[in-house]
Amino acid sequence: METNITDNMLKTFFSESKQEIANDGFTQRLMRELPEQADRGWIVWVFAAIGMAISIYLGITSGMIEYIMVIIKQIPVYYLLGGIFCLPLVGTAGFFLSQNKNYQII
Amino acid sequence: MSNADDIRWVTQVALLGDKNAFDKLATKYQSPIRRFFLNLTVGDGPLSDDLAQETFIKAYLNITAFKGLSGFSTWLYRIAYNVYYDSVRAQKHYEDIDEQIIDSQHQTLNAFSAEKMDIYKALKLLRKEEQTAVLLFYMEDKSHNEIARIMNCPLGTVKTYILKGNEKLTVYLTKEGYGNEYNRQHAENIFQ
Repeated sequence: METNITDNMLKTFFSESKQEIANDGFTQRLMRELPEQADRGWIVWVFAAIGMAISIYLGITSGMIEYIMVIIKQIPVYYLLGGIFCLPLVGTAGFFLSQNKNYQII
Repeated sequence: MSNADDIRWVTQVALLGDKNAFDKLATKYQSPIRRFFLNLTVGDGPLSDDLAQETFIKAYLNITAFKGLSGFSTWLYRIAYNVYYDSVRAQKHYEDIDEQIIDSQHQTLNAFSAEKMDIYKALKLLRKEEQTAVLLFYMEDKSHNEIARIMNCPLGTVKTYILKGNEKLTVYLTKEGYGNEYNRQHAENIFQ
């Protein structure tokens, strides 16, 4: 019982002394001090290229691409054009949503 | 921001060297790490900022060593703990600095509250290991297991550090009248 009281007393004491420290440019100074490392962004492109090559290969060998082309040819041209013109809108909305999770369209 | 965010940012830094992801990690953890150092250095702001910066730079350079077995926070505190003890061993700050000068700096430059002064006076009564364990447990809300990982010592040793620190602090705080105030508030809460 007494241990609980002293434990709680210390928790209260420390929580009263606990403070959030404002950034005040600390991370900006830190980022300037970070040593330069080799840019490894090329890894994304290598994996993307490998993934694309595998997809195309599987699409051709399985006949999937041919099948998709047949379906596309059956779609009326106005629908296709409408879909193509909507792409920038969808892309822009997706970009804003990915950049800022709190973004609200309305 | 969850641990899943931490893992995503760590992966981006480790695989792509993405500094923006590291900036997000640093922004999230700057306050607890700087507070940890500020308490360990008994209120020396510039020194604690230098140590925090060194900690984050080491984390950035060795981020591929993070295996995700413990939380990123625990891993970061482990680095902070090593940085602090390396600093103490190398420079022996506390033996070289006159305590009178520190006290006057606290009162004039940092305008600390009475409670802040109390906590630093109380922490000075503890051994370095006890200070670290007590701060991690009471101030940073780390579990015994996490503290054992951070300090790289057995669980029983951590419990002993906390227990001894607890005893010394209780004696000090009771002597300063803090215990009476707490007991009065505690009693009021019970009877309300």
